[in-house]
Amino acid sequence: MRKYDAVVIGAGNGGLVAAIRLLQGGAKVLLVEKHNLPGGFATSFRRGRFEFEASLHELNDFGTADNAGDVRVLFDELGVTDKIDWMEIPEAYRVICTAEGLDATMPFGVEAYIDKMESYVPGSRESVTKFFDLAEEVRLAQAYSSSVNGKTDSKVMMKEYGNFVRAGSYSVNEVLDVLKMPQKARDILGAYWCYLGANLSDMSFVHYASMVNRYMKRGASMPKMRSHEISLALVDRILELGGDVLMNTEAVKILTDESDGGVAGVVLDDGTEIETRHVVANCAPHVVYGRMMDNVPEDVVKATNTRKFAGRGFTMFLGLDKTADELGIENHNYFIYDTSDTAKQYALMRTIRDNSAQATVCLNRAYPECSPEGTCMMYFTTLYMADDWGRLKPSDYFRAKDYVANKMIDRFEKDTGAKIRGSIEEISVATPVTYARYCGHPEGVIYGYESQYWDGLMPRLLMMGEDYKVRGLRFAGGYSMRLSGYSSAYFSGDISGRQTVGDIKKEG
Amino acid sequence: MSFVFKKQVLGLLDLIRFKKLVPNRRERFKNGSDSPLPKTYKVNEAAKIIHPGFRKAVLTEIRDETADTKTFFFRTDKPFVFKAGQYATLGCKVGDSEVSRPYAIVGTASDALDGKLGFTVKKTGFFSGYLFDEAKVGDEFTVGDPSGEFYYEPVKDAGKVVAIAGGSGIAPFYTLACAIADGTEKLDLTILYGARTSADFALKKELDALAAIGKIKVVYVTSDEKKAGFEHGFIGRDLITKYADGDFTVMMCGPDAMYAFLDKELAALNIPLRRIKKEPNCVGTRDVAEKEYKLTVHIGFDTYEVPAKSTETLLVAMERAGLKVPSKCRAGGCGFCHSRLVSGEYSIAGADKRRLADLKFGYIHPCCSYPDSDMELVVPKAK
Repeated sequence: MRKYDAVVIGAGNGGLVAAIRLLQGGAKVLLVEKHNLPGGFATSFRRGRFEFEASLHELNDFGTADNAGDVRVLFDELGVTDKIDWMEIPEAYRVICTAEGLDATMPFGVEAYIDKMESYVPGSRESVTKFFDLAEEVRLAQAYSSSVNGKTDSKVMMKEYGNFVRAGSYSVNEVLDVLKMPQKARDILGAYWCYLGANLSDMSFVHYASMVNRYMKRGASMPKMRSHEISLALVDRILELGGDVLMNTEAVKILTDESDGGVAGVVLDDGTEIETRHVVANCAPHVVYGRMMDNVPEDVVKATNTRKFAGRGFTMFLGLDKTADELGIENHNYFIYDTSDTAKQYALMRTIRDNSAQATVCLNRAYPECSPEGTCMMYFTTLYMADDWGRLKPSDYFRAKDYVANKMIDRFEKDTGAKIRGSIEEISVATPVTYARYCGHPEGVIYGYESQYWDGLMPRLLMMGEDYKVRGLRFAGGYSMRLSGYSSAYFSGDISGRQTVGDIKKEG
Repeated sequence: MSFVFKKQVLGLLDLIRFKKLVPNRRERFKNGSDSPLPKTYKVNEAAKIIHPGFRKAVLTEIRDETADTKTFFFRTDKPFVFKAGQYATLGCKVGDSEVSRPYAIVGTASDALDGKLGFTVKKTGFFSGYLFDEAKVGDEFTVGDPSGEFYYEPVKDAGKVVAIAGGSGIAPFYTLACAIADGTEKLDLTILYGARTSADFALKKELDALAAIGKIKVVYVTSDEKKAGFEHGFIGRDLITKYADGDFTVMMCGPDAMYAFLDKELAALNIPLRRIKKEPNCVGTRDVAEKEYKLTVHIGFDTYEVPAKSTETLLVAMERAGLKVPSKCRAGGCGFCHSRLVSGEYSIAGADKRRLADLKFGYIHPCCSYPDSDMELVVPKAK
């Protein structure tokens, strides 16, 4: 039987980074991926003369060589930063809620952001400044926590990061209440909520503040050749370090050791058994515990059943035969909502009929050369917060796709004044069904487990030790301790990879 | 820090709340349901119908169409859905080789929900020859997912479609006509159908029956014969403008020579790219001096050495050697055979349809690449 120190299941963002960390720690590693491409959602696809980005709107916390964010630092350590051609995103976002007369375009940079907010909402400066002060303390507290592998000293936490601790158990809305932030400023500041996918009464402040701060402090970046370039660069590094990578290869079972219930091996889809005592699973615990393991401990079943699936993805990709200027597409990144009340918006996003929120990108506004001269391309994303797509009759599937696509186009044209419908050369639509098939996630979820306050970033990080239930089995990716999103998934792979190196060393 | 954050009058209560984050989550977990975790989910079950994957197909009927064209009907044990115009691969083992080809699906939406589909095939080469000469009712094949983007897209296409078919290129349009007739698709369809003589039109009886219900018009065009009721010549701008005006989308399915001619004709009519769809053809042999190279192939944990002819694609070389490797569109576009190049020189047939980063990091599509030296590839196993 073939033997590896560790098997990484899934070559998504988390799995790829975990594999590199394991190899850097001296482990012999096998990475298996059921799809024929690495990256999971971090990929691209061609249609006609366009190459579409499959999922990445913008990579936060990357920064530049002299203002490096945590992701860049991680990529430097992994040895991949220079394998990728990067470009910077020019501005943060434009948020539109026509029903409320809201239309604001926000820049990157904490100072610039606060100034712009003051221009839209006079009198907001103090509360928004406090928000960023708190957010910065969150960042520093997290950096401290990571540096001691989550084993924080409560005295240090209290002394150095008191505000973080006092704010750490509250939702975004609860904290913004305390800061007395004017409503319109809250509406503008809250625009990123759909990137995390829980409404702001459910989402922990720490999680949201952490993300907004990372965006504003370091800006955002993109690889020029779409996220596929990052994924292939990570694979390239794995191969350089001597890792084995098998595509089109699904791990169907994790074998356990009778003595301690821990990992003993992995069975691949062709029946091949791999001997290993360590697995990093870049997939949903629901799938691992529900399908891939026998004799799952009862406490694990209960814990897994408790967790709430986050948003199911929907994306429409358009290749347009005119330039962004010609079509009147002014910005790179739009958030278009029915209401700034995120709980109400969240509720509307349960059904195919009611959901018309969108997070939309015109990549040419960041990188004009991303498509042929005289053209531009866009992608429109939304989330479904329930499983309407699973209730459809198969024969209604294509009609439902067209219905949502048309609604997205109409909405964008109406709310921005751009005219795109007559210029569509290529269109492709991915629904929750597409995502379910592509990555095998339950219900087509693209955001892992929802960032509910009780299961948000802080409690997950604080319980990292006790969430490790099955000896040798750690998780990476959107379902794990850092929650979803590109940078979070990379960090989760970093953490689980390094922890597994520690596990291996302990075993001697 | 310039201010002290307190939610409660006593900041201490905020601290206590923070300290409860862990016990709270622990408590939630403890009170969770102990019912077994689901094995599958509604959306994932829907995905099995919308993307049924490779599956067994039994040949149930062979129907003669013309002297060199037949329709082969299959039964699978899974319902599926597809867009009229899409293809699926049909494959089986022929001798020592693993062979498959993409063919346009012939059938209706309700056939598909019963697991049934057909392929109208013209006898041209190795696999079609096998189908014509050896396949018999009851034989087992494999069919793949409904694939490709050659279908009517109501969000962007014109309400009127001019379909141009050459020979067996009629198959996707026949299926589209069926979809219009049963209400699955809503558009006006004019089919310009070219063949050599009046005896070479496959599915003519069926098409004429569909045309009788309106919304569908079929114009038969013969190149080698003049006959009443048939247009004569090649399908070009004159025939297009004779049968269509205003805003329309052109869909073409036929041989590459037909595309080369029509590209110029459509350009002369100033039809923009967004109004043109073309179903790519399988990459064939290339016209160079025949040489034999050594192709080293890594699949899973195994390594094989197989001969590769300069005139044939790398995919064909692997299939000839009986290797089970992924193949779908066989035209370089779908990326299903995406493989890592370890070493060697190669040439690509036609336009390079790879992703940019594939070029940068050395990945190729064997279905459209010919060897120019000994080569070494890492190929994902077929699923």
